[in-house]
Amino acid sequence: MAALQESLGIGVDDKAGRGRRGPRRPGGARGAFGILFAPVTLLIVLFLVPFLIMVQMSVVRFPPRVDSGYTLDHYVEVLTNPLNPHIAWTTFTIATTAMIVMLLVALPLAYFMVFKARKWELFLLLALVLADELAPVVKVYAWQVILGRNGIMNWLIPGPPVEWLLYSSFAVILTLSTTYITYTTIPIYAAMKAIEPATFEAATDLGAGWWQQARKILIPLAAPGIFVAMILVYIPMLTDFVTSDIVGGTGSYMMGQRVRDLILGQGDWGAGSALNFLLLAMSVLLSLGAYRLARLNRIES
Amino acid sequence: MATEAVGSAGIAVGGSAAASRWRRRRALNVWGWRVFLTLVGLMLFGPLVILVLFSFNDSNILTFPLEGFTTKWYSEALTDPVLRTALANSFQVAFVVAPLCLVLGTLAAFGLTRFRFRGRGVIGGLVGAPLVLPWLIIGIAALMGYARADIDLSLKTVVATQTVCTFPLVTAIVAAQLFRFQKVQEEAAIDLGCSRLQVLRHIILPHIGPALAAAGIFAFAWSFNNYEISAFTLGFQQTFPVWVYSNVRNPDHTAIVNAISALISAAQVVLIWFALKLMRLRSGDQATTEMIAGTEAVAATART
Repeated sequence: MAALQESLGIGVDDKAGRGRRGPRRPGGARGAFGILFAPVTLLIVLFLVPFLIMVQMSVVRFPPRVDSGYTLDHYVEVLTNPLNPHIAWTTFTIATTAMIVMLLVALPLAYFMVFKARKWELFLLLALVLADELAPVVKVYAWQVILGRNGIMNWLIPGPPVEWLLYSSFAVILTLSTTYITYTTIPIYAAMKAIEPATFEAATDLGAGWWQQARKILIPLAAPGIFVAMILVYIPMLTDFVTSDIVGGTGSYMMGQRVRDLILGQGDWGAGSALNFLLLAMSVLLSLGAYRLARLNRIES
Repeated sequence: MATEAVGSAGIAVGGSAAASRWRRRRALNVWGWRVFLTLVGLMLFGPLVILVLFSFNDSNILTFPLEGFTTKWYSEALTDPVLRTALANSFQVAFVVAPLCLVLGTLAAFGLTRFRFRGRGVIGGLVGAPLVLPWLIIGIAALMGYARADIDLSLKTVVATQTVCTFPLVTAIVAAQLFRFQKVQEEAAIDLGCSRLQVLRHIILPHIGPALAAAGIFAFAWSFNNYEISAFTLGFQQTFPVWVYSNVRNPDHTAIVNAISALISAAQVVLIWFALKLMRLRSGDQATTEMIAGTEAVAATART
């Protein structure tokens, strides 16, 4: 994590870097300009400018007509519509439940990979990455096959078919947990990698049980990784609409679906872009938080 | 290791009762981990195995147990004209996006790791942003940007937006690799009389070659599998994920969706496993774990 941030140039202190990486080159800025010109220009034109246009759309009276005057009505509408807090609450509870499920899996999994897996460590890591790289739409669809009325779950469970397995919040939580488990596990794994195994041996010698070791050593030392994982996974979960579209029901209508429906369904660009801007602001704040945490962690270590 | 030592010390002191208790606890421990890992494996790959099973099932309804063996869904899927067009579109987009991302991503990686200049942090943040912000938000902004600029949505707009959102992934992978080998080596080669081109050919490429290949495969997979950006920047055409999306609740197409999803997933498993092996081949186990731990943590949130 730290190496990546350093390599991406995020939060690298020039003074600290200088000793290790050699002196500052006099022609550095010019050479960098030539190399970075194409990627940075494309990012500005195709990434940054669209966001500015989106912000403009959220304050124009009748988007997409920009000559119709400016107003904050769309924000007022988004914040006062009684439907929105309800959807936000549903989204938050679903995402939080999925997060709890993922932490319950990711903590022991990361611990196993770091301290117990030995030669299987890399295999497990690669398997996690592999599972994550497959098409999300297909993975979510596969759960529909498992949880359906005549699916395997209902075949295994005796008695009449259980209806709430599919098209429900349960299905969304289960599917979200499996979708984002890789991203939850890996930052925690990276944080646990930094713990000296001898710490646990010392604790064992001093008579600490596994629960005491987990509570007093493992979790406190892995805490920065856990927080980073939580933030980084909350961001996409709060805007997820694929999962809830495919396996969710009416009770699991989420924020991502709301924004998508406002824009593609109702064509309400004003409210849609206003809501999208609020989600963007929240994502940026959360990722800055994650970045600060990761940086703090790096300074400490 | 030390735990075992403590354990055997315990045996020596405590006698046979303690020994058998310790052995029982150890066995319980091992079995506990096995059960846990099996559950995790089922969570991650179980759905895909089921998908493959159902794709050979001789019935169009998703009912368990399976009825008979057939491969007809595969031939039906591969002859469906709409699906074929969608697949062709996805391949077309990914074959343009992946090379573009390799070039742009490598340039950005070099610029950010090999030079120090004012504003480096800002540019690093800009390059990292598409990896952290959700694709839904980016897709909507892109849709509005294209509308404002009066550009008709088509596969070209999909390619454009996917490229700027995917090349930072290549940057992350390549930069992690560049960071590992010191600039000193390049400078030493220059001092020894190498030309710029020779440095590139003999020093840099061998170092980042496998990372580049792996990054190319990842970029291809990201582009091919992307639903969110395509959904917002696509005109009347369909890509493969968009086709799956529009057919998941269509009971007539269930078997075909199963077959083609199983086929595409199997191909991707092979390809991505190969990419991961490539990363490992050159970098070694230690470096690979570090690289994945770093890259994935930031690449984490791009998928919504």
